Amino acid sequence: MNIEQLPIINLLLFLLMALVIPLLKRRPFKLTLILGFIVLGFVFVSSGYLLWYVNNIDIIHYTFGGHEARFGIEFIIDPFSALFTTIIAGLATIIYIYSSGDATEGIEKTEYGRYYVLLFILLMSMFGILYTNDLFNTYVFIEILSITTCAIISIKKKKDTYTAAFRYVMMNELGSLSYLFGVALIYMATGFTNITLIGETMQNAYALYPVNIIIALSFMIIGLGIKAAIFPFHIWLPDAHSAAPSTSSAILSAIVIKVYILVFVKVLFRVFNIDILNEMNISTILLVLAGVGMIMGSVFAIAQKDVKRMLGYSSVAQMGYILLGVGLLSFDGLRAAFFHILSHGLMKTALFLSVGEIIYYKKTRKVNDFDGMGFIMPVAMGVFSIAALGMIGIPLTSGFISKLNLGLAVLDHNQVIFLVILIISSLLNVIYYLPIIILAFLKNEKYRYRMKSIEDTPRTMIAPLILLGVLIIILGLFPNQVMILIEAAVNSIMS
Amino acid sequence: MLILEKIIDNINYIGAVALFVIGLRIVVTHSNLIKRIMGINIMGTGVFLFFVAIGNVTGGIPPIINNNQINPVYINPIPSVLILTGIVVVVSITVYSLSLVIRIYENYNTIDQTELSKLMSEEDNEH
Repeated sequence: MNIEQLPIINLLLFLLMALVIPLLKRRPFKLTLILGFIVLGFVFVSSGYLLWYVNNIDIIHYTFGGHEARFGIEFIIDPFSALFTTIIAGLATIIYIYSSGDATEGIEKTEYGRYYVLLFILLMSMFGILYTNDLFNTYVFIEILSITTCAIISIKKKKDTYTAAFRYVMMNELGSLSYLFGVALIYMATGFTNITLIGETMQNAYALYPVNIIIALSFMIIGLGIKAAIFPFHIWLPDAHSAAPSTSSAILSAIVIKVYILVFVKVLFRVFNIDILNEMNISTILLVLAGVGMIMGSVFAIAQKDVKRMLGYSSVAQMGYILLGVGLLSFDGLRAAFFHILSHGLMKTALFLSVGEIIYYKKTRKVNDFDGMGFIMPVAMGVFSIAALGMIGIPLTSGFISKLNLGLAVLDHNQVIFLVILIISSLLNVIYYLPIIILAFLKNEKYRYRMKSIEDTPRTMIAPLILLGVLIIILGLFPNQVMILIEAAVNSIMS
Repeated sequence: MLILEKIIDNINYIGAVALFVIGLRIVVTHSNLIKRIMGINIMGTGVFLFFVAIGNVTGGIPPIINNNQINPVYINPIPSVLILTGIVVVVSITVYSLSLVIRIYENYNTIDQTELSKLMSEEDNEH
């Protein structure tokens, strides 16, 4: 087999798996779960191998049907796409193992199969978005992604999920159409949809048709901003993420919105090059959006009584951090942003999954009902505490490393005001995460020292949680290994 | 007169942008959910018209090889092909959101956003 075909096989495996699940309807459901696990495991290993290959040997270009890049669709596997597909595959495998432990709360038994169909198509489209080197192809994958995420939100047969999904679909469609308009304007000025070719001709096109390029850039920022839940466009996120089943909230919050910000990075650095961005002073706009988002997301999160809504608003604030790194338009900034994408992915998955376990067994989502929870469900609350401390930015966790890097990158650019915002935002995080930990472990004496009160949960649910907790700490202690890969990704995106 | 000429020259682009803006206004301001879906469709049509308009070449003929023509000028077929995909996408989004509206109507007996929010906030207060 040719190594060039490996990424395509990854995509095809996901699609085939989605096709096979309905066929296995009459067989025991375990068969589907095992088969899905094999697929995910294979994809994780193969994307890991691709990551090693592109970092050590060569970047892979693949054109479909042998058409040259300007006519056909081109896939590029470089350190950037290989790194993030590996991260996505890894996180998805962890979430998958957890969801097989019967924790797909609120979904009817007959819908399980459909849930996994949607999950695999979702993964396929995310891989496609990262691999593809074509703006229009990206649009098609984005639409597949948004329709499957909406469906995965509305799969619970509950009233409020329908309205949440409807709002999500409307906002998302506004975003995609704005993005498509941007693509149209770029195509008008350059005549290509291939990102590399556009990047080469962009300087000329900007000199000839500046209006086109400026409008295209603003459409794309708004379109992808809506989808990535960047602050003023975030209104759909808390509803959608709290209405979905816990496992899909984890996927949506930890992976899907990150994919959109990665597209955003690709558009900024590969389609429009840095000179044009600096000339238009995009950096200031992005930094202001990021700063407002970091503060406001946390402020809204404090006011929430529902744990999952709180986590949703916290995601808005965290997207602010990532945007802050991207908005600096520099090597250090991007490095910090990419690291934060990884560490926030781990932490948010851990938070949503541990909260999911608590909701599954205790049927409560109110913050106030968490007293003594640490004695009833020690593993879930323990992992929750590790991840929450990571969110705050306590040393020894990966959250500390990403905040440290962000702070250093901000200082390099003499933007001291954003360092202040970063610290204020961290303090706001303390206000809404710490009370939960205190409630769970230090209050309500009556549960203490009663081992009988510990709920026994299936091992498939406990194992992923422990793995996530350990990963957060390992990443906080030894960030250098991952940092090498991230720096390679940043170099490939900036060259 | 110069402005008028410019408008006439670019009428296809102006029409496309006008459709986009009309659609956007419907999505943002109307409270009827079905009208919102229509708004999305109008927005989509605006973008598609824009795309197709880019591909047009004045005096061009459809890009089908015909030996009777001497030095033919063809229009650019790629935008039209891209838009075929775009239309399929918008149709599927429309179908999905209409099915959501059916479910919302079954549950709340209304498809008006303002009434919906009122019903939802009442339910929140009960809990």
